[in-house]
Amino acid sequence: MDLCLFLGCNTPAIRPDVESAIRMSMPEVGVDLIDLPGYVCCPAFGSFPSTDVESQYSASGWNLSLAEQRGHDIVVQCGSCYSSLRMGLEHLHEDEKLRTKVNELLEPTGRQVECKVNVHHISKILYQDVGLEKIAEKITKNMKGMHGVVQYPCHTLFPSEVVGFEESSRKPVALRQLTETLGATVDPYSLEYQCCGGAGGFSNMSPAEADAFSQRKLDAIIKETKAEFMVTSCITCLMYLDNIQMKLNKKAGKEIYNLPVFDYNQLLALCLGADPDKVATISGISREKIIDHFR
Amino acid sequence: MEIEFEESKKNLWKEIYNNENLHHCFNCGTCLTGCPASNGDPPLLVRNLARMIILGLEEELLEEDSPWYCVSCSKCEEMCPMDVKPFEMILAIRKWQSYNDVTYVPTSIVEIYKRGYTQAVGVNTKLRESLGLPELPTITKNPEMLAQFQEMLMKTPVISDNDYMFKGK
Repeated sequence: MDLCLFLGCNTPAIRPDVESAIRMSMPEVGVDLIDLPGYVCCPAFGSFPSTDVESQYSASGWNLSLAEQRGHDIVVQCGSCYSSLRMGLEHLHEDEKLRTKVNELLEPTGRQVECKVNVHHISKILYQDVGLEKIAEKITKNMKGMHGVVQYPCHTLFPSEVVGFEESSRKPVALRQLTETLGATVDPYSLEYQCCGGAGGFSNMSPAEADAFSQRKLDAIIKETKAEFMVTSCITCLMYLDNIQMKLNKKAGKEIYNLPVFDYNQLLALCLGADPDKVATISGISREKIIDHFR
Repeated sequence: MEIEFEESKKNLWKEIYNNENLHHCFNCGTCLTGCPASNGDPPLLVRNLARMIILGLEEELLEEDSPWYCVSCSKCEEMCPMDVKPFEMILAIRKWQSYNDVTYVPTSIVEIYKRGYTQAVGVNTKLRESLGLPELPTITKNPEMLAQFQEMLMKTPVISDNDYMFKGK
């Protein structure tokens, strides 16, 4: 299976170890990745989608047209990129007037958008297209005996009409089952489905309340589970949940939170035998306890 | 807040969010349940925004910066029983505000215009090399493509209206 890899901004710029994990693990489970030269910002919801329809959908159209030229669907890890590209595809597909307008804007650049490729989240590809059996078959190491919790990226759940791939967006299972396939035990907890709180203005505009919002989630994990790690499949969730623990520790003047956060593909790559120094090096909260297990 | 209904703009909804379903909103507050930013101080109260549009409170809405607290999780959109699509509504309010008041225009669009991305993608070459990663085919590596992208964006309303923000290096 060939898919165009849409990397977005944060992964290649700030957490390239996640990119490395994706590039290493996907071909191992039968998904070959094609780069998209000249791709641009998805566009992020706080940018063109907050200024005007024309720039929002022409940026979407630009990115979609790159994949259309190559004739392959897009795979995305970043939740925001996934959701923005899906929204772009949905509107451009359903609204002929909008599509015509965007194609007028694209025309002088020699491109056009026909909405003939689809956009997939990487956890959907792993869960539905690769499948749990194949992953179980391919891994050479496992996480037996380790406990973790999962963080479902909101952008892969809501609105399910546009972005959904789970049977129920209220009770998603993909990330849990994918993690269990690596041998780990996924502990349930009361705030499992709460948003990380990271994407968008809330944390900047209302920092004290945003910190408390995430703190409640972290406290629930500590109180209700035996988790030694957290796993997500979205660069925003990953960065935010790592950073907020350091921020809360600094505020408290002691180390209260020390739950290392991984992208699912990082754990998958480690179970496929990848070098931890290549696929899981960048983190605020130390990952050593988990990584030692793979050395 | 005392509202002067005489002075309210009855057709404001058409200008901001031309979606008939908006009028089906019965203020149930489902959009607030599970909204991270509803915990903020001040809070983001999505249903109040819907009400403000319906009532045509133009001036109040132009001063309201809570739409920018939204984390874009879209849970409100999933849960809204009347299909108002509140996240789309929030983006529509932001668009209307950006169009009518330049101070709302996010600076990230200048970054994207200049280099294609909100972050400095592709400049961390040493780190990437140490991880065994290939050089990224970013748009800045193809000046002709970047120029085409910029020419396309220059024809869109908010950028062309504020073109001075996008000139220079």
